[in-house]
Amino acid sequence: MESEELIRQIMAEVMANLGSDQVSFAKKPAAAGAVDASSYPLGERMPEKIKAATGKVLADFSLDKVKSGELTADDFRIAPETLEMQAQVAESVGRDTLARNMRRAAELIKVPDAELLQVYNALRPYRSTKGELYGIAEGLETKYGCKINAAFIREAADVYEKRGRLKVD
Amino acid sequence: MKSKRFEALDARPVNQDGYVTEWPEVGLIAMSGPNDPKPSIRIEGGKVVEMDGKQRADFDMIDTFVADYGIKLDNAEAVCRMDSLDLARRLCDINVPRSEVVQLTTAMTPAKICEVVGKMTVLEMMMAVNKMRARKSPANQAHVTNVKDHPVQIAADAAEAALRGFAELETTVGVARIAPYNAIALMVGAQVGRPGILTQCAVEEATELNLGMRGFTAYAETVSVYGTEPVFMDGDDTPWSKAFLASCYASRGLKMRFTSGTGSEVQMGYAEGKSMLYLEARCLYITKAAGSQGIQNGSVSCVGVPAAVPGGIRAILAENLIAMALDLECASSNDQTFTHSDLRRVARSLMQFVPGTDFICSGYSATPNYDNMFAGSNWDADDYDDWLIIQRDLKVDGGLVPVLEDDVVRVRNKAAKVIQALFRELGLTDVSDAEVEAATYARGSQDMPNRNMVEDLKAAEDLLKRGLTGVDIVKALAKTGFEDVAGSVFGMLKQRVAGDYLHTSAILTKDFEVVSAVNQPNDYRGPQTGYQISDEKWAQLKNIRQAMSPENV
Repeated sequence: MESEELIRQIMAEVMANLGSDQVSFAKKPAAAGAVDASSYPLGERMPEKIKAATGKVLADFSLDKVKSGELTADDFRIAPETLEMQAQVAESVGRDTLARNMRRAAELIKVPDAELLQVYNALRPYRSTKGELYGIAEGLETKYGCKINAAFIREAADVYEKRGRLKVD
Repeated sequence: MKSKRFEALDARPVNQDGYVTEWPEVGLIAMSGPNDPKPSIRIEGGKVVEMDGKQRADFDMIDTFVADYGIKLDNAEAVCRMDSLDLARRLCDINVPRSEVVQLTTAMTPAKICEVVGKMTVLEMMMAVNKMRARKSPANQAHVTNVKDHPVQIAADAAEAALRGFAELETTVGVARIAPYNAIALMVGAQVGRPGILTQCAVEEATELNLGMRGFTAYAETVSVYGTEPVFMDGDDTPWSKAFLASCYASRGLKMRFTSGTGSEVQMGYAEGKSMLYLEARCLYITKAAGSQGIQNGSVSCVGVPAAVPGGIRAILAENLIAMALDLECASSNDQTFTHSDLRRVARSLMQFVPGTDFICSGYSATPNYDNMFAGSNWDADDYDDWLIIQRDLKVDGGLVPVLEDDVVRVRNKAAKVIQALFRELGLTDVSDAEVEAATYARGSQDMPNRNMVEDLKAAEDLLKRGLTGVDIVKALAKTGFEDVAGSVFGMLKQRVAGDYLHTSAILTKDFEVVSAVNQPNDYRGPQTGYQISDEKWAQLKNIRQAMSPENV
């Protein structure tokens, strides 16, 4: 689009505005660390201690094992323990929010791909009722032990309710 | 009478660009807007009860998310009370190390950090970027796309871009359903050019995640966030959905960064009367709060908006700087075309090129502009020599290295042959010898034969249905005899088991060693510190094919 035309369009479109409501939710605790930046990169420094989600040891990974079929796609998935170690590395260099993300992620490893995509889509605006989001949180918690994510999704549901971002029946 | 001087000026490319005067009420102001909130923070019982003049009762979704997750609270009230001019001086002072500055900046509110950078000239901001960039060494990223979605050309262009020095490559699609083809062609082609290149395919969020889960991409970038709630809703996401998406990527061992930029809110019509930089600062705090390791920012695809207002290019540098000050990886845009003027496009890029960023462009078009499916780039394949010679002129490492024609032809040819063999082995559509030949020597898709798109789309959909993964690609490559490429794709897949490249500003060397802000943090403290171009690197950068030497005269 021509810049001038774009700007005209912007000027025509910039008149709307929305108000605000109250929202609140709680914070999550962070765990203490046993690994730090001195062990990083973990895959290079301690591959014998890094296991895939299937339990296979990273140090034993080889191209030949892929060719022979000994290693399959499932073996190339990160393990919760590894993400916890990476979270500790992040914390050791002051990156607490990245560590928190890694801990949410560690819980989600068990959740199948398709289900993960469903949960993501359900969290988008106007996709779910509050009850549906609470149901998803419950499901993740009971089926896969996703405590942090369950709380996060409930928190989202509460905020969406206050901000009018839930599905309208 | 018409002035001949003005007649000539009117005909200049710069006068084909659009400009507007400031209009703060609708957000058409770069930074330091009259309606931007004044910095404030009040914490009670470990909870933010007031931020930037707003009480918690009045918080919108973004305020809540930022206040509860995005600010280091221990020191926040004290930092907010500090003189912003003094803080601005620390940002660009060579005697104050990055690690000390980060303690201050990550405790600031969005309005506070805007006030601080608002005190700085572009030169001071560039000094600050030099110090605040998270990774010690700068790097660059390229776009690899074409209007035909031609997979053989994507592979060849990827191989060439990798050889030329880009650390990351990004593709996207003309037709959405072809995404698996483009992602595979990009990944495999890149590994032919230089092992360890990170690749991504920018498509709709859920599809992009799916491609990553399968092992067709190593990272994602187009996870967009916005600075006002209505625009976030228009973007069909919330801070919570985006934070969840960030965790989804990490759960599959995939690198990920968010994307934002000045001008998006005004372009989408909901700037709420705030300056572009203030709204972008909110995006950066959302990014930080969500636990993303980094951001692609610098207006990105909205660059026409800040570029039209006074100080807009300064604001773009300021937003890059804020990202770095929040300890985020920064892929600093310099991508979408915004001007007809060659002078303007260079001036805009010098802001990031001279100090260096984690990825100076995000990205530089590895094709001629007509093939760039991200609406064109400020830099493209036809500018390769300009970029290299500017590096040489200024002794700056802008992420590219001079290459020889023979080497480019060799890697393009190999990438095309690998795709031909791989597609055959995987039972995908045929790649002819004529296509391999064309891709080897092509400048762009105008030099490529047309493909049967219907068949390609069918095959791309079918490979998803068959459940094809990166492991299948490794096996197929090994079977076709391209053992080295199989080994490189295997090396990429291994990264997701260790997760080291999930950390801030991570890239991989050709030996699959991770280089990030964890093991190579920026330690700049003035002349002869921080990233220095080694003698070996300088010899490489100096050595352009066009230079005459006494021996060849």
